[in-house]
Amino acid sequence: MAASVTGLLKPWTPRVLLVRWSRYNPYYLEPEPRKEVYHIPETELTPEQKEERELKSVRPIKAATNSVTSSVFNDPVLSKFVNMMMKDGDKIIAKGIITQTLENMKRKQVEKYHKAPEVKKAEIECNPYVIFHQALENCKPVIGLASIQKGGKFYQVPIPLTDNRRRFLAMKWMITECRDNKHRRTLMYEKLSQELLAAFSKEGNVVKRKHELHKMAESNRAYAHYRWW
Amino acid sequence: AFENRLAFRAQVRPLHGSGCGQQQEAVGMETRPETFSIFRTQENNPACQSEQHLGQYYTVPPSHFHTVFPHGLPPRYQQQVKTFNEGCVMVRQPALELISHLKRADYSKPTLRYLLYGVKGSGKTMSLCHAVHYFSKQGWLVLHIPDAHLWVKNCKELLPSSYHASRFDQPIQASNWLRNFRTTNEHFLSKIKLRQRYVWTKRESTEEGRPLGELVDMGVSHVKSSSDVVGAVLKELRLQAWGTEGGFRMAVAVGVNGLWGRTTLKKEEKSPVAPEELTLVHNLRKMINNDWCGGAVIATLSQTGSLYAPSSAYLPQELLGEEGFDSMDPFVPVPVSLYSEKEFESCYLYYLDRHWLQHPHSQTEEGKKELIFLSNRNPSVLERLCAFL
Repeated sequence: MAASVTGLLKPWTPRVLLVRWSRYNPYYLEPEPRKEVYHIPETELTPEQKEERELKSVRPIKAATNSVTSSVFNDPVLSKFVNMMMKDGDKIIAKGIITQTLENMKRKQVEKYHKAPEVKKAEIECNPYVIFHQALENCKPVIGLASIQKGGKFYQVPIPLTDNRRRFLAMKWMITECRDNKHRRTLMYEKLSQELLAAFSKEGNVVKRKHELHKMAESNRAYAHYRWW
Repeated sequence: AFENRLAFRAQVRPLHGSGCGQQQEAVGMETRPETFSIFRTQENNPACQSEQHLGQYYTVPPSHFHTVFPHGLPPRYQQQVKTFNEGCVMVRQPALELISHLKRADYSKPTLRYLLYGVKGSGKTMSLCHAVHYFSKQGWLVLHIPDAHLWVKNCKELLPSSYHASRFDQPIQASNWLRNFRTTNEHFLSKIKLRQRYVWTKRESTEEGRPLGELVDMGVSHVKSSSDVVGAVLKELRLQAWGTEGGFRMAVAVGVNGLWGRTTLKKEEKSPVAPEELTLVHNLRKMINNDWCGGAVIATLSQTGSLYAPSSAYLPQELLGEEGFDSMDPFVPVPVSLYSEKEFESCYLYYLDRHWLQHPHSQTEEGKKELIFLSNRNPSVLERLCAFL
């Protein structure tokens, strides 16, 4: 329950400690990064919110992670994608690649938009965030396969997937596709932007992989009763 | 809020310039609503732009774009032109000041040198290109060397010079530059005649009285002697700039701080090459000296390509060094600052108009405040931020 650790500091303990990934005492509360919460005036608070504010004034609060911002441009799905692309903890490079990808997609679409005749302009989607989210949606599998052992043999059984698992699979396939199956000399952002634009219009290798998974699940329909959960 | 701002826009008033009167609408007539916007102006001639156009974008007509700017635009701006399908330049205070000095200068006196300086990304190269557009509209001969840094680093081929034993030639850079020079100044090439005979090899020489175009073509085709051709071209132009028979005026626009200081190039014995030992740099320095008359020299400093200079340095003293400052002295300094509020507004509206700011939050007030905070109104930082938003 002790909120201060100064009593435990020895001369050899470094003054600056990595705190966030250590195990916090459950007494500590989560930080609130969103700005709108603090702008609500006193009078409009509900009783729960008033209680919460009073609690926050007496309890200690955990340190916020580096990926949490109060910026209006913060996107949790994009942050997850950046983390999945990151190698050796180098988030600067991963974030740089993603921003270049978004810029590249936007450039291609805006160029097409400006050169298109008036009639076609409404159909061209220029927002890279919308394209990203839609492409990811198009890549998410609906049903997955699990390897279940029955009578000494392993069967591929179709199972429902949770939302997190689906999102993870879509992102993973996208990244591995871009890393492995493209020409060696193209840069990552170029490969990613091509693949995302293809997935947005439901073409491309990632969407094909999703369809193949669905077909496998359909063909193994007979084993569905092996699932017990 | 948009309609209120439209009501405050000033009318276009008749100016005293000669060719400008016919190009405007009659006073008292409002422009048609579909071409009306707060951040654009219809005045596409840099000579007729004045303080009322500050902060507004004018379009460089696409037909002139490739002749006036074959090289010299910042690479991100070139990408932007390709994406938006049009080339728009913002009218800013440093460029206007420069153009007004140029209009009133006396060209029978030795050349005035102007130096554009400012923080990284504040728009010096774009102001230089604005001035170059003004020159080409006025019919001057433009000598546009975008970046002397391209000549002092990353050079693959260094040939010992045939003309002078201790100097080095750079054939590729020289021939590229001659090609771009030819694109910009087509109409001058046949009018200017050489005043001296130049001998290139035992069998080739260019006689007196031949047009300059022939010299340039020779330089482009014979890559080995292209650096000497550049030197000859510069010398001829310097001698003839204030010629009596319908002399032209010459403008030299340079990215200058690579000419002094050190280079990254090495001779075969691994000893470093000083800039004086490069033919191109030697000839260019003679150009920048103010011992000729009939033109103007406009220079920019840039930290971006500069060698062995700290990234926070932007003042002329720091970037030019002792030697450079002494040779450029006296010059007219033109500081280029970050965007003012009006210019920022204008830039923001331009991006909105061109469908560049796509994120739904970036089109709100909150997003705009965040953009101001993140970029500190620095033009290049703002451009990079808006690129992915």
